[in-house]
Amino acid sequence: MSQNVDKQPEQAGNKLFIDVGSTYFKVSTPTSIEQHFRDFNKTILDDLMHKCGSTVDQFAKEDIYICSSANGGLSTLLIGITNSFSIKYATNIAFNSGINIIDTVLLQNIEEYSIPSDLIDVVIIVGGTDSHGNIFNDSLYNYVQQLNYSNIVYVGTQQDAARVQENIPGLVVLPNIIDDRLHIVEEHLKEYLTNLYQQDIEGKEDIKHLYEKTANQIFSTPYIVNKALPLIDASFTVANPFILLDIGGATTDVHYSKDLVDENIVTENEYDRLVFKKLGVYKSRQSLIFAAKNNEFVYELLMHLKVTENIFNEHDEKATKILMQLAIFLVLCKMSHYRKAYITLKLLSINSIVFTGGITKVLSVAEVEDIIAFFYKKILTSDHKPTAILDTNYDIWTLGAKEKNLCR
Amino acid sequence: MKVVTGVVGNDIHVVANRLIDLSLRARGFDVFNLGVNTYLEEFFDAAVETGADVILISSLNGEAEGWGREVRAIKSRYKTLDDIIMMIGGNLVVGSGNAEDIEPRYKNYGFDIVCHQIDLNTGLDMLEEFIKERNNP
Ligand code: B12
Repeated sequence: MSQNVDKQPEQAGNKLFIDVGSTYFKVSTPTSIEQHFRDFNKTILDDLMHKCGSTVDQFAKEDIYICSSANGGLSTLLIGITNSFSIKYATNIAFNSGINIIDTVLLQNIEEYSIPSDLIDVVIIVGGTDSHGNIFNDSLYNYVQQLNYSNIVYVGTQQDAARVQENIPGLVVLPNIIDDRLHIVEEHLKEYLTNLYQQDIEGKEDIKHLYEKTANQIFSTPYIVNKALPLIDASFTVANPFILLDIGGATTDVHYSKDLVDENIVTENEYDRLVFKKLGVYKSRQSLIFAAKNNEFVYELLMHLKVTENIFNEHDEKATKILMQLAIFLVLCKMSHYRKAYITLKLLSINSIVFTGGITKVLSVAEVEDIIAFFYKKILTSDHKPTAILDTNYDIWTLGAKEKNLCR
Repeated sequence: MKVVTGVVGNDIHVVANRLIDLSLRARGFDVFNLGVNTYLEEFFDAAVETGADVILISSLNGEAEGWGREVRAIKSRYKTLDDIIMMIGGNLVVGSGNAEDIEPRYKNYGFDIVCHQIDLNTGLDMLEEFIKERNNP
């Protein structure tokens, strides 16, 4: 199915929406969409005003809405006690709050993990139902002491909360994310993380300057996209169920509806989000190539696309196209049984795959569908062909921004 | 006493699972019911999260044997589950089978209590007896 062109999104009044990404920024007026490559030698504000100053100046501060993913999001390290419950639940909440996970640590083996050298924005400690106690001990405190972090939060059994707090200075204690039926409780941790993300965006020097142009709060882009998902039929003829891939310069985001996972997680979200941190075509180009070289099907795919491995050393438009096609393939692999991330999506049930982000400016529907067909054939040995829908005009993001602004 | 229970593997026979949940509660156990379609790791993970004393697995559709063979290997990856009581019941083979052969085989897989086609109340009596003996040897 192709994009439904006659159903234009309803005009968003006389408002201007700006999305600042790690690689591009987009400016959307009621009548046009502009997209520009970021100039990293300039501040975001200077760059924006240099390229679209005349557009921006036509709008009042109250009518300008900005969202950003330019900071790449916050990073978290999770320490939990099992993969099926504490770590999985915390992962789900972190992703849905727009946070990227740099590592997960299983408490029982904590002594075997190396210490990440990067500064971690937030460490999350979780484990145990409230009816269980004495789970956390010195091995946790020793490990945490060696970490370099800005925030640390505890969402495990309340029996251990006071003792953990005594041993870890600055620890924030929130209610357990696991209830006494082993179900997930999201709201407190989600609110905490969303606020941290928000503060982080607002604290970034570059972003702060943008408040010279808007009187509205600047939100994170994943948050805005998630808001748009239930409204997607308004702009596209999407066959449910669908997944949405936002393949960006630094990271790739996947938004999927809950019925696509067979999971022990029961949440109230209609859509969940998953992030592949080092999968992007500009800032994360090297790690994308690394992942590609480690995938045994990639050479066959390159052959199918009639190029050789040398393409990895090239930087022209053709190379960008190929990398984007590889990115699609690798993301689909990661969501399948073949290279399992923390969830496996029921990819055979998907009817549409919606693409947003820079990729829509580079690839055609045919080029995208070619990769999808290759993936289903090689990895899932199926002739199933979900249709590709390209959000070329950034309708999704405009919808989300509008929705956000209407609910307020 | 905390018990983690569920139906192992791709098995969707839910009726016994509901009865097990009710009967265990009636006998005063704290029950964490993982329901049908539960993988072995999830039983062990649930025991770690809850501090359970017993894992009670049921299997009706004939998958038990395949999972049974995995128990020792998977359990050995956990550092805090050495003392947990492992129990299994339902239809433990394909077809009817012979309890005299089945029981020792499953004990060998790492189960303490094996109830092939044994009715639920008898099985739970066996569990209580086992706990009593373990506490006062
Ligand atoms: C209803 C039923 C179904 C329904 C299930 C609906 C549902 N969601 O529950 C449906 C139609 C979906 C179904 C499907 C299948 N079924 Co069916 N099903 C039955 C049936 C007729 C009754 C099961 C039942 O609910 N009994 C009532 C409950 C209360 O009894 P129970 O399950 O036996 O449990 C008691 C004891 O076993 C015990 N118990 C159970 N667990 C434990 C654990 C412990 C520790 C203890 C102490 C005791 C205990 O306590 C219970 C109360 O006493 C049985 C045959 C039968 N008459 O038993 C076949 C039966 C279980 N099914 C069988 C099969 C093969 C299947 C299928 C593979 C058929 C197929 N070819 O597609 C599929 C498998 C689906 C899957 N993925 O699991 C076989 C299993 C054979 C085997 N093990 O060798 C049976 C025995 C039929 C047969 N004679 O062939 N089935």
